Amino acid sequence: MRRLIMVNSNQMLKRHTIDAMLMHWFNTICWVLLLATGVGLVDNPVLQPLGMWWVRIMHAIFGGGPALLKFHIALGAIWSIGFLIYGLFRLRGITIPFIKEMLSFSPRTDIEWLIKKPLSMTIGPKMMQRLGLKPVIPDQGFYNVGQKMFGIPALFGGAVIAVTGWIMTYSQAGIFSQQTVQWAILIHFLAVGLVFAGLLIHIYMASMAKGEGPAFVSMFTGKVPVDYAAHHHKLWLDDLSPDEKDPESSA
Amino acid sequence: MVIDSAKCFNCKACIISCQLENGVSAENSRNWIKSNPIETPLGMHFQPGNCMQCDAPTCVDACPTGATYKDPIDGIVKVQNNLCIGCGSCIPACPYGARHHHPVKKIVDKCDYCEDRRASGRPPACVETCPTQARVFGDLNDPDSAVAKLLKSEKTVRIVQAETNTDPVMYYVDQTGPKDWPVKASAPLPIQLWRNVAGPLVKGVVGLTGLGVLVMLGRQLIVKDDHMHSEDSAAHEEAHNGK
Repeated sequence: MRRLIMVNSNQMLKRHTIDAMLMHWFNTICWVLLLATGVGLVDNPVLQPLGMWWVRIMHAIFGGGPALLKFHIALGAIWSIGFLIYGLFRLRGITIPFIKEMLSFSPRTDIEWLIKKPLSMTIGPKMMQRLGLKPVIPDQGFYNVGQKMFGIPALFGGAVIAVTGWIMTYSQAGIFSQQTVQWAILIHFLAVGLVFAGLLIHIYMASMAKGEGPAFVSMFTGKVPVDYAAHHHKLWLDDLSPDEKDPESSA
Repeated sequence: MVIDSAKCFNCKACIISCQLENGVSAENSRNWIKSNPIETPLGMHFQPGNCMQCDAPTCVDACPTGATYKDPIDGIVKVQNNLCIGCGSCIPACPYGARHHHPVKKIVDKCDYCEDRRASGRPPACVETCPTQARVFGDLNDPDSAVAKLLKSEKTVRIVQAETNTDPVMYYVDQTGPKDWPVKASAPLPIQLWRNVAGPLVKGVVGLTGLGVLVMLGRQLIVKDDHMHSEDSAAHEEAHNGK
């Protein structure tokens, strides 16, 4: 605990590598375009989740369904192969540590966090106190458990989306049965829908929520202020070596 | 199309001409001839048929990509080849078995009343080749067409599947048979699950999550200072204590 006050509060800590940030924004661009075109491909009023107006807009932009399908397949291939190559190249540096971090839980405090954090952000700390809940939220590591609850489905959902996407892409290659392709269509839609729900919270927390500004900035600079880390990711800060906290080595 | 099945003697010329015209593989066909035993010299009543170009096509509802559609101009149910991914969801969704998976093209194939021939002013191959003119083709909306006249002069029936009435646009001169052969149209399980479970589930989850985000955003905008980020963290308390 004492170590905290030894560092200057204006000091910045390295949180993300440049390649991780690039992959984050690569993922962002791909997701926006793949989601927009993918929803536009469901050209059936019985199954279309958003409305046929979206299909008409997408068809107008891309000049019809076949061109839209080609674009979606091409970008989906770039997205999935891009992540596969990155994940393999940075297996030890990023992929494995990231998955390990995502899957590390401390059940007691995690459950408390998952109950209290959403309440403090919706009904507020004062109301929580009136309900007899102390509005003190347990300390978190490199990722808080809320981020993990989104990160795990996003990671595995992403893999499911990629695999089912490839099955549909090669539906005419004679590898997969018609039943396999039909299930791939359903699972692709379901996985995208559920990850998208989590994405809404991710986008809000990262770009709009009060106090989260430094996290947003850090996705461009790779650094967060010590103050921010102490408040949001104290267990991570505690685990950092003095070298990692030193401004010279983190620059 | 209007069919006078009493004229059919099961020569199958319509099936072969269709296969040749449309590149249908030998083991499949876009059209068919059903039969019914009756007391005539032939001992059988034959009933030619093909896609009934339904006005309430369950096959179209089952297609996830929109490759199958009912053309609003000519009323014909078509497959847009470069949108069809060959998932076959539409095949069991047709009560008449009018669709098949093309083993070479790897997409779903069905009758489109010989679109290419019609574009050059010729009738569908099955109609042109029928030696007894059992099949009559034309525009039902044109009162001068052969089909419209036939519909007026003859008593006609449609072959409808009772549980899944797809409103077929195919008329048979009365006394045709058999009539009970269509099967209940049913989209495959994944498409049914999308329609009845996954679709509402995704909409519900996304809706609720969106609502949660709006509540958080609203609170952030309305409640000016709730000390959320100054006094609610254990880390911060400890940092203060440390000082």
